[in-house]
Amino acid sequence: MLYKTNVKSLLVTAAIVSWVLLLGNVLLMAESVRQPGAIKLALPYINNLLIIVFILSVFFFQRLSANNLKGIDFSSYLWNLFSKAAIAAYLSIALYFAYKMSTGYARLQSPLLLHIVYQVNFGLLVYFLAKAFYIWRQLLLYHKNKFLQVAWEWFEVLLFCTLILTLLNFNYTNYIFLPLFGLFVCYILFLCTNLKWVAYLSFNKKSRSLVLLGAVLVSCYIFTKFFQEFADSPELVIDYSDVGFLLLAMLFVGTYTLAAFLVSLFSLPTSSVFEQKSEDLLNFQRLSQSIQQGQSEAQVYDLLFESTIKASDATAAWFEMVRGNNTHISHLLNINNEQIERIRHLLMAYNIQHIDYINNNLDRNSGFRDLALPWKSLIILPIKSKKHVFGTLYLLRDIELGFDRETVNVLRTFTSQTILTIENLRLVAESLQNERYKEELKIATQVQESLIPKTFPTDSWFEIATHAVAAKEVGGDFYDFLQLSESRIAIIIGDVSGKGISAAFHMAQMKGIFHGLMQQDMPPSEFMKQANSALSRCLEKTSFITSSLYIIDYRMQGFMFARAGHCHTLYYNAMMEDVFYFQTDGLGLGIVRDKSYNNHVREMYYDYNPGDVMVIYTDGIVEARNAANDEYGEDRLKYMLTQTYHLEAEDIKCAIINDLEDFTGPDNLYDDQTLLVIKFKPVQPKA
Amino acid sequence: MKITQDIKDSTIIMTLDGELDASSSVILDEELSDPEIMKYSKILVDCRNLNYISSAGLGVFISHLQRFEDAQIKLIFFNMQDKVRNVFEILGLDLLMTIVTNYEEAITIADE
Repeated sequence: MLYKTNVKSLLVTAAIVSWVLLLGNVLLMAESVRQPGAIKLALPYINNLLIIVFILSVFFFQRLSANNLKGIDFSSYLWNLFSKAAIAAYLSIALYFAYKMSTGYARLQSPLLLHIVYQVNFGLLVYFLAKAFYIWRQLLLYHKNKFLQVAWEWFEVLLFCTLILTLLNFNYTNYIFLPLFGLFVCYILFLCTNLKWVAYLSFNKKSRSLVLLGAVLVSCYIFTKFFQEFADSPELVIDYSDVGFLLLAMLFVGTYTLAAFLVSLFSLPTSSVFEQKSEDLLNFQRLSQSIQQGQSEAQVYDLLFESTIKASDATAAWFEMVRGNNTHISHLLNINNEQIERIRHLLMAYNIQHIDYINNNLDRNSGFRDLALPWKSLIILPIKSKKHVFGTLYLLRDIELGFDRETVNVLRTFTSQTILTIENLRLVAESLQNERYKEELKIATQVQESLIPKTFPTDSWFEIATHAVAAKEVGGDFYDFLQLSESRIAIIIGDVSGKGISAAFHMAQMKGIFHGLMQQDMPPSEFMKQANSALSRCLEKTSFITSSLYIIDYRMQGFMFARAGHCHTLYYNAMMEDVFYFQTDGLGLGIVRDKSYNNHVREMYYDYNPGDVMVIYTDGIVEARNAANDEYGEDRLKYMLTQTYHLEAEDIKCAIINDLEDFTGPDNLYDDQTLLVIKFKPVQPKA
Repeated sequence: MKITQDIKDSTIIMTLDGELDASSSVILDEELSDPEIMKYSKILVDCRNLNYISSAGLGVFISHLQRFEDAQIKLIFFNMQDKVRNVFEILGLDLLMTIVTNYEEAITIADE
């Protein structure tokens, strides 16, 4: 940046010095012409060199100062062009007239003053050309491609090459250069066709630009006229119209300004179309981005309503929002409720409320004619997806054929984008809702976990090990215990049919029934009967619960139990060294919902020996499957106990669970699994 | 799960093929809920190809049991695999429902 500033100041210095030297030299030359006797101090050839230095330094300064295009605010560039460059022409003409007036008033000839004016105007011309040249470059290269970029660079190089002619004092009007000159003009004309920026001007900006461009054109004319006037003038010792570079630069600036002026002028009537399109595009963008911007459905409908009215130039409109089975009018424009009601009645009669419908000549339809509406065209745009109807948009225009194909296409694009946006908004909301459900489910999991006892009373009578996993967040398996008296404990296991939330509720209910009924300390069969009666009133028809209840009495060294459709209890008798299943009858709870259930439950009493092992489980254990779809089965469970009965309860449980996991493989849990291992201890408590 | 129906006079033979799990039990429920089925006096369920029955599947039969009984429609299962029969037995359903070994036996019992 420092480098650039340095170069800039160097160029400014060079320009000023060369101009002042040029002025001095020209004045000296003029003096020597006026007084032939005077000493010839002026150096004739140095002029050309100074001209070139001046032109180059001014042009390069402007080249460096030219800013990159920012945005599409082209009118500010034009204003820049006018205020900083074109004004120079008006200054120069003012200066010339001031000179004319002063000499005319004083009636004196002052060649020196004329030279000064001429010289100042030369400076202004070069400044004007340089400024205009580089502003036009910026605009010309707007939306450039590689080819245009190269073409421009060559143009600049060629243009600066013409300065060599001046340096060598060639006369460019020489016939040798004419064809070349012609080619160069063609080149300029080609460059002048690049006017893409004009299309981006709105109607208002175009009108303003036309004034500015006109002013710049006048500037070009003033300068051309001025230097033409003084071309080959005998009063002057120097003639800048001989500098071919200036002519070509002026040709370019003038032609491009003219082209821009004409294009702006002729595109003025079509600019509203372009404006409309770019606004449509902007609205599409806003619609499609409304999700990221966290807008609500109402805001999307607002946007749709505004955009479609603008796009179609509708004179009246309304939008009906559908919520469930109700429709209500959420947006209104230049129409009253009474008119809407009449139109809706008519549409209902024709049965065309929620379908795409265009009528471009309402008067031709007797129904609409009778309504005496001030509109001639109607379009109905339903906002609906395959599943939902979100609303219906009605647009009206006061002219016939108000909705042509082009407009309808734009409107349809708006509505389909709206549908997409609304659906996406709902999806986002839904996923948030799901997230909330997941959180709730997590809480349910925690609540359910708290319902299952983690620790049993540690007792010297027996040891107990438990295992419970649910296939889903919440399950239908449960177990619990209740100390009935000092020497008696009730243990229950159960499985609610089905899985998930409903099973979890019934499981909690069963726990309540267990604690409620067992407070009264009743035998297991009686418990099952009462539990069945209680559950019959609240279980849905297809649900049932299987359960087993054991009441262990340490003092009597025995246990009483009843089975209600639950898996058979696996038992190891230490005395007989035998592993077997208790085969007892018992119907699941909630299957028979009347007194006849009482006939379906049996009670059993069994004396245990120290070292006996009882394995209680749910069907999730024996019905667990492996990859080949084989069930784990009662036999394999039984075999496991014959191998492990001598271990501690905890180790027996671990052995069984490990074997089960080996069998099913990892991540193969389809049903809740619960396993309780109770081992009666040989150690007897002290009386 | 595939359920096929075969009608002979007042008897409807329902063949269950596959696994009766939570999702397929919905289909079974629809079939059994069909009012048409009440026209028949005997429903024979062929379980030869029923490889598995979940608690949901059992729940469907249980829920219709009382209705059929009230309408004096006989519900008879036959050709049941041991594995599936075991599930019925553990739950105690063998005492509530008629489960026989083969078709002939089923016909005999149905005609009683």
